[in-house]
Amino acid sequence: MLDAFEILTTSGVVLWSKCDASVGSHIVNDLINDIFIEEKARPQSSSVEIGAPVYKKEKYSLKWKRVKDFGLIFVAVYQSLLHLSWVDKLLDDIAAIFVDLYKDQLRSSRCRIVEYPFDKYFDKKIQELEDADGVIHNEGYDAIANGKKDFFVSSDNGGPPPPSVPSVPKEAQHQAAHTTVISDESTPSQSPNISRSSTPVLNPILTGKGGPGGRVSRRARKAAHANANLSSGEEGVRKAKASKAGGKRMRKWDADGLMDEDNGEILDYSAVAGSEDASAPTIEPVSQDSWGVKTAKGQFILKDLGDETHSISEKAKANASAGVVESSFNAISGLLRNIVGGKVLTDTDLESPLKAMEEHLLKKNVAREAAVRLCEGVRQELTGQKTGNFQSVDSVLRAAMESSLQKILTPTSSLDLLHEIQAITSPATKQQAPRPYVISIVGVNGVGKSTNLSKICFFLLQNNYRVLIAACDTFRSGAVEQLRVHARNLRELSARENVGDVELYEKGYGKDAANVARDAVNYAATNKFDVVLIDTAGRRHNDQRLMSSLEKFAKFANPDKIFMVGEALVGTDSVMQARNFNQAFGPGRNLDGFIISKCDTVGDMVGTLVSMVHATSIPIVFLGVGQHYGDLRGLSVPWAVGLLMK
Amino acid sequence: MGADLDWSSFRSIATNLLDGNPIAILVTVLFALGCPLLLHYLLYRKAAAPTSGSFLLLGPSGAGKTALFTLLESKSSRLEKSTKPTHISQTSSSTTINLSPTIPIASNRYRSINDPSLSEASKIPVTYHLRDTPGHGKLRELQGISQLRAMLHPKKSKSGMRGVIFVVDAASLSEQNEALRDAASYLHDVLLILQKRALNNGKPSSKIAAEVAVLVAANKQDLFTALPPGSVRDKLELEIDRIRKSRGKGLMDSSVNPGGSDEEDILGGDDGHGMFSFKSLAGEVGVQVDVIGGAVKSDKEADVGAGVRRWEEWLGMCL
Ligand SMILES: Nc1nc2c(ncn2[C@@H]2O[C@H](COP(=O)(O)OP(=O)(O)OP(=O)(O)O)[C@@H](O)[C@H]2O)c(=O)[nH]1
Ligand SMILES: [Mg+2]
Repeated sequence: MLDAFEILTTSGVVLWSKCDASVGSHIVNDLINDIFIEEKARPQSSSVEIGAPVYKKEKYSLKWKRVKDFGLIFVAVYQSLLHLSWVDKLLDDIAAIFVDLYKDQLRSSRCRIVEYPFDKYFDKKIQELEDADGVIHNEGYDAIANGKKDFFVSSDNGGPPPPSVPSVPKEAQHQAAHTTVISDESTPSQSPNISRSSTPVLNPILTGKGGPGGRVSRRARKAAHANANLSSGEEGVRKAKASKAGGKRMRKWDADGLMDEDNGEILDYSAVAGSEDASAPTIEPVSQDSWGVKTAKGQFILKDLGDETHSISEKAKANASAGVVESSFNAISGLLRNIVGGKVLTDTDLESPLKAMEEHLLKKNVAREAAVRLCEGVRQELTGQKTGNFQSVDSVLRAAMESSLQKILTPTSSLDLLHEIQAITSPATKQQAPRPYVISIVGVNGVGKSTNLSKICFFLLQNNYRVLIAACDTFRSGAVEQLRVHARNLRELSARENVGDVELYEKGYGKDAANVARDAVNYAATNKFDVVLIDTAGRRHNDQRLMSSLEKFAKFANPDKIFMVGEALVGTDSVMQARNFNQAFGPGRNLDGFIISKCDTVGDMVGTLVSMVHATSIPIVFLGVGQHYGDLRGLSVPWAVGLLMK
Repeated sequence: MGADLDWSSFRSIATNLLDGNPIAILVTVLFALGCPLLLHYLLYRKAAAPTSGSFLLLGPSGAGKTALFTLLESKSSRLEKSTKPTHISQTSSSTTINLSPTIPIASNRYRSINDPSLSEASKIPVTYHLRDTPGHGKLRELQGISQLRAMLHPKKSKSGMRGVIFVVDAASLSEQNEALRDAASYLHDVLLILQKRALNNGKPSSKIAAEVAVLVAANKQDLFTALPPGSVRDKLELEIDRIRKSRGKGLMDSSVNPGGSDEEDILGGDDGHGMFSFKSLAGEVGVQVDVIGGAVKSDKEADVGAGVRRWEEWLGMCL
């Protein structure tokens, strides 16, 4: 069943939780980190799935629901092995109930510190859903399951079920069942009779057929609930719960029994059912009676609770439908509010500005996929939000887009290359032996791998490192010669300024690049180089054969950093390039960063930055901004956002 | 007598009012009594609970900012003592907190202990604003740093910015690792902003600049692996020194246009020569940094030395 359920605010405080100790807090932290902040696995906007999205971590699956008005996140954690079909409904219902119950507290400034005594509502809801789940599974067809559930709900509100009262709707329902399931029932008049003769009779049939397993688990569950309540609670509540479970089960089996009966007749087990009929009623009614008597008062409390939760759920539904009707009235005042501000944004308000925003991003050379996703994210963030005073929809949208661009481009931890090299080449502790720092550069043909490699080399030389350039492009003719020229130039430059030292490691053409790379690293280690820069052959990202050799390369050379060079000019293709290269190094190895070259040629159309980061969540580390060795820059996020929003 | 009053003309109204009739007397009395009351409510309602300053909680993710924030909040309201668990924050939040009356505040510093008005003054709770920010790398710039900038802006902030509480997880700093680098570079950025402001105010130790002090709260001292505040200070100083050196050598940002070479800001007054230390920062730039240990988790009323008591004392000294 559920391992944990947490209600937390976006500011990070858990308002209420029901937790199994074994679920570490890092599970939810990872969810927040991966989904909400880094947005690594954003659900595809195209597939509007019915249920809540799922996040899998270790052996757990997490589902969540956000309530934006209050900045709340509802998270349900359960073992991935279990297929709990009712988690979506649980999240929806709990969210509605919680918000409705505590909206005053949540609005107040002390929302983070007041106590939320939510346990009993939650337990009740869980119980209900688990039971309803049983109905669905036994029946196997949804339409009737829904009808039955609703019916069950109303009878639940109506107090303890005397056999005669619900019989009328039950018969009607039974008819419905008949129309849907065409079963050759020989004696239609018999089934209402049985159901009217009340649950005690049917119970044994059900338990007999449903298998003892299901029954035991239900008992165990109930016991678990009772235990959980022991700690929190007064006797009364606990008893009430137990009795509620009993009472509920009784009614539920009613519904179940109806179904089971059908099945029974189809499968023609009537003889068995009959024989059990005779023996069982003497046992079961007694126990149920005793529950009822013992906890008459408790049951009362429980019913209130049930009423309350149901009315809240229904109110929420009603509100949702009322909203559509009211929207036409709001349209006029909406026009005014659009100018004055203080307008609650709806999907329709946002539609055309978002379309315009998407066009704008596309013009900035952002790949369509990324633009759509960004707009979708902004839409989800903004719907239901109220605009500030004298704030137009456009300016709100702009601000939201700016911050979401900033968020996507900002790396989680900034790369301090010099520091990392320092840590590897002259480690602080004695246990680590110093070794050269290995950087390799990959990318498609002609994007400027060798040029950017020499720029990095120049930067490292300025910082007085000894650099070995390894020419592992053993494929394209002229590649080694090109590097030789760069190496010679750089050597001259460094000699003039008397900083650093650079050497070229080359083994000609035709050799296996992975072997050359490994040899180069070994050579660097024996000759006390600080950094090895490995140039690789350019390859099309959709060329299977060449891409697959990268895995071996990564294993042999074992680079500390793998950077991919991408052109700022490339458009939509950037997404696939980034993805394919990111996956080419085998499991457990990814790219470490992008170098975007030729940024000086695109003006403000720097959308490629966004496309690449969007596709992989891998940060951009350098930008190439010119033809000279010194034309390498770090990324300034506000600069990029400014250009994109211009 | 009141029945035959003539209200039709101004003249007769004036006559009536200046007569000794009861209505006029009543109106006058009401006015005379009501005015001061009204004025009092208008002017003094806000002043009844003066908030004397605001503080900002910064620091890397998982340091315990939100935990500290909720602890202080629940302590101040005295509702109940059970603190709630926390997760990674995505948004910042702010609140007003009453400083516990047992904590001395700076404005009472020069009063004698026997001063009768001291006990009087300590009856009125001192309140301050506290703002929690997310420490995640992606959200720092967006919320933490920009919040700091906004609060430092003299026009925007209503109640004066008094200090920054930079929370670090002393247990995670114990090994030479990513956490230390992360914390130090964040602290470096924060101090750089404060330094810029202090230097822009003209004299390095001008009045406004001196007001914003920094507390490095070495949290989680309850853990066995936690570094004592002294070595937290040393480690941070060392790392910041290294960071400011490598920032000087690092690549330029893409935003810097190659022509106009505005000189790179270097933390510390000495232009990056010699070792960085918080002490020299205070001396030369006027940004005061204190490193104090504490623990959010083991905050009990019983032992005054542990918990967050010493941080609260620091808060008091800033008010
Ligand atoms: N042992 C111990 N744990 C603590 C202490 N203070 C906080 N923690 C734990 O540290 C974890 C992170 O605390 P948070 O307050 O959520 O961290 P944060 O600084 O708000 O992190 P972000 O919101 O991501 O920036 C929580 O699990 C706290 O329970 C402490 O003094 N001792
Ligand atoms: Mg937090």
